[in-house]
Amino acid sequence: MATATASTPARDTGIGALLRHRAVGKLLLLAVAAAVVVPILNAKWASGAWPDALTVDLTEPLGRTTDWIIDNRDSHWLFTYFLGHVSNAIVLSVRGVYLVLLAAGWAGVTIGAGLIAWRVAGVKLAVMASTAFAVCGLLGMWVPTMQTLALMTVAVLASVVIGLLLGLAGGLNDRAFRILRPVLDTMQVLPAYAYLLPFALVFGMGVPAAIIATVVYAAPPMARLTALGLRGADGGVMEAVTSLGATGRQRLLSARLPLALKELLLGVNQTIMMALSMAVIASVIGAGGLGDRVYQALSTVDVGQALAAGIPIVLLAVVLDRVTGAAGERVGAHAEDNSPLRGPRGWSVAAAVTVVAALAARFADRVDWPTDWVVNIAPSVNTAKEWMVDHIYTGVPVVGGTADWAANFTEWVLNPVRDGLQGLPWWSVLLIVAALAWLIGTWQTALTAVAAMGAIGVLGVWNKSLDTLAQVLAGVAVTLVLGFATGIAASRSKRFERLLRPVLDVFQTMPQFVYLIPVVALFGIGRAPAVAAAVVYALPAVVRITTQGLRQVDAAAMESSRSLGATGWQQLRQVQLPLARPALMLALNQGVVLVLAVVVIGGLVGGGALGYDVVFGIAQGDLATGLVAGVAIVCLGLMLDRVTQPTTRREHSAKKGA
Amino acid sequence: MSEAVVTSKDTSEDTSEAPGDGPVFAVENLWKVFGPRAERIPGDSELTALDPAELRERTGCTAAVRDVSFEVKKGEVFVVMGLSGSGKSTLVRCLTRLIEPTSGSIRIDGEDVLAMDRARLRELRRHRASMVFQHFGLLPHRSVLDNVAYGLEIQGVGRAERRAKALEVVKKVGLEGLEQRKPGQLSGGQQQRVGLARALAVDPEVLLFDEPFSALDPLIRRDMQEEVVRLHREEGRTMVFITHDLSEALKLGDRIALMRDGRVVQLGTPEEIVGSPADDYVRDFVRDVARADVMSVRSAMRPVGEGEETPGAALAPDAKVTEAIEAVARSGFPVRVMDGKRCLGVVDHAGLLAVVAGTATAGPATPGPARTPAPGKGEVVA
Repeated sequence: MATATASTPARDTGIGALLRHRAVGKLLLLAVAAAVVVPILNAKWASGAWPDALTVDLTEPLGRTTDWIIDNRDSHWLFTYFLGHVSNAIVLSVRGVYLVLLAAGWAGVTIGAGLIAWRVAGVKLAVMASTAFAVCGLLGMWVPTMQTLALMTVAVLASVVIGLLLGLAGGLNDRAFRILRPVLDTMQVLPAYAYLLPFALVFGMGVPAAIIATVVYAAPPMARLTALGLRGADGGVMEAVTSLGATGRQRLLSARLPLALKELLLGVNQTIMMALSMAVIASVIGAGGLGDRVYQALSTVDVGQALAAGIPIVLLAVVLDRVTGAAGERVGAHAEDNSPLRGPRGWSVAAAVTVVAALAARFADRVDWPTDWVVNIAPSVNTAKEWMVDHIYTGVPVVGGTADWAANFTEWVLNPVRDGLQGLPWWSVLLIVAALAWLIGTWQTALTAVAAMGAIGVLGVWNKSLDTLAQVLAGVAVTLVLGFATGIAASRSKRFERLLRPVLDVFQTMPQFVYLIPVVALFGIGRAPAVAAAVVYALPAVVRITTQGLRQVDAAAMESSRSLGATGWQQLRQVQLPLARPALMLALNQGVVLVLAVVVIGGLVGGGALGYDVVFGIAQGDLATGLVAGVAIVCLGLMLDRVTQPTTRREHSAKKGA
Repeated sequence: MSEAVVTSKDTSEDTSEAPGDGPVFAVENLWKVFGPRAERIPGDSELTALDPAELRERTGCTAAVRDVSFEVKKGEVFVVMGLSGSGKSTLVRCLTRLIEPTSGSIRIDGEDVLAMDRARLRELRRHRASMVFQHFGLLPHRSVLDNVAYGLEIQGVGRAERRAKALEVVKKVGLEGLEQRKPGQLSGGQQQRVGLARALAVDPEVLLFDEPFSALDPLIRRDMQEEVVRLHREEGRTMVFITHDLSEALKLGDRIALMRDGRVVQLGTPEEIVGSPADDYVRDFVRDVARADVMSVRSAMRPVGEGEETPGAALAPDAKVTEAIEAVARSGFPVRVMDGKRCLGVVDHAGLLAVVAGTATAGPATPGPARTPAPGKGEVVA
């Protein structure tokens, strides 16, 4: 179908003409198809919202499945012989790690963390790591921090092992790679939130479900980077190793794995960050720890408590990211380590000091964080928030107030977009999705996008999904305007970029969940704060990709335009932006994916729509509702990703030539 | 340059002293075809007659090596030379089956390489033929010493022993004092010395070089070429050397196989290639060569005339034309060419000028098979 349109345009009319031609051809074809199909659909099911006749009610079968699982959890062989063991193993290992951390006491953990950071990343990060843990204690969050750390440790270990095995399979076997790659790519664009319910259904609420959801979410980057790293091994080196007569195992152990070490460490870093993010979100299905404190505090709009639990999350994220990132960078560096403490000796010193510290605290009877060292920030934060509610929510002269802004945004942006979308005939939504996806990508992506959108309709959550979609669209629009503007500014001014970089670094490492805290403090609850959190979450990635894209524009092209006397604005508009188009498209794609991920979490703070259904399903034990919403979120994610996923033109035409 | 040529002459004399040894590598009718159902191509006389573009059009296959035959004698430096895409790198990889040949036969010391099982093939790669690569192929995470010892490590040699051996080889290639560096900290020339040391450390029977110096600066390249000449002079190891650089080929090679589009167009000594090019392609190729540095006085010689047997300046038959020009210019008379006590002939102004001008046809005095048969049929040297 695509071949017919693509092969017609004459090649000698230039790329621009060809492009326009192809786009027009696609649209024409789609218009013809629509002209034939739409009247039929209209006559049969009428327009307006998704017709009831085309929905499948899954509530009952899903409810039956839920009941069956709950009834059989203690008796059926599947649970008693397999899942039960998995579940027990997880509970035991998390408890084991937790007990070790508690036994080490605050002194042991704080000093031990510092020493580990010292060994892998240097003195500066060691101080940072120790300080971060001390602050967790000061905020009165020692025990939840240790719970989260125990969860993370088990989840990260499992993710790394599973990711490594999958990555080895994909890195060494072409067929495995072909199967794995699209699956992993797709898993990366799905919102974390959608992973929660299936595991809660099978394992029940609690630590095992949370850990498994975390592993499923965090293992893909490890697998992906391992496979890519192993495949990317320098062919010349591998050939040289073969030419010396190495066996397959020698090739893997002495060459391929060491060559991929940097990617492996990057994989560990990403896995840790994603595991932290998920371990916090998984508090919704009973993970406990810091995330649970935030969740409880947010549900009562207790900003002070939420902040007290949120700060340790941010600190953990920053420390873990910096330490693992620095370890990765050290691998590539050639610095000679000649200190007397290098290698195993340094590690044994670190271990010995940690043990001494832990024992000292034990003999001083100070294993637990001393209660008189706790600074309770919640009341003062809440006082500040009350003041904000009184003074800047409404009635500030000229600019209005934050609550006013939120209300206005809801009334003038979110509502019209939602009503507009819901008012469109259902088939026209499908047509728009098809047209967008096809124009930007290939007919395969268009087909996937339409199928995903259709599935949403069939599941009977059409209107709710369009509500979520409206929030996503509004969020993406705001993100892009702010992100492109900031990105362009950063690409033009070195100083601005230097100021921005550390801010972006911190923002990009923070788990999605914590973004809800400040927006609730500022805007209260509702759909607007959910969108605001999504914008803040997606902004750093968009800014960074835009800046890099603009910076990487061919210097020769820039120079030649300057030599022709172009002004800065002309340069930006006529050279930089067109040449950076792929980067801008990537920024759009990432923006859409990230905004969706947080908009659905916004269900926790009154975002409504699909996100709320998931929370409601979990809270009420109505897993059918939750699961349907979860699947709809997955479909929405797929659709949005495919619609914004450009395929390079060359690949495209090569495929057609075959 | 002249020093290098003299060296290669010396070694070729060494080989002629031990004529009983069979060839190290014997390659016969070797084909390597890339593409779908490649194995049908070599046997199909209709397809083999096509030129590369037609073949790709008809079958989607590319024949990188087409019906190549040659032998590498013990102790010689055998150069395979050709432009990029001529199939020379594929050819050298076929020798140890880093690339699996499509058809033909390869023997090393009489043993069929294509019939080897995996263990035997590993044995071949570990002990008998090691390779030096254009882009070095060093392991970036290991020190120079550990890179050099890598081949021994693979063979299971103990740590102390392999380090001692590696240290010795590191000294031999002039990298003393850099043992603990990482490859990334070395210059290109130093990295290639590591590559060379790694190949030498396993003490192989044959060294294979795949354009080893193409990535290096001209000055460093010359140093490295002299390094190879020196190593060859000291150890007399058999070498197969791939290059796209004609001057490098003439400088290093005892014999040169010139490849084009996967075929060997001409195979012979540097003098034969320059003196009697087999076809226009080769002639075009060698046009800019300083012929006087490559051709021997044999090619400029004429029979002894009346009254010319008087004593005076004399030259060996392998002396280069450059030397003869100098001798003739100095004496002002024709100079005799003496093989021991026997006078083979004389060279004079006219003969020498004819060589330099390229108008001399290689006379019957040129030893060995001067010409290959029609291009396309690789020649087997007995």
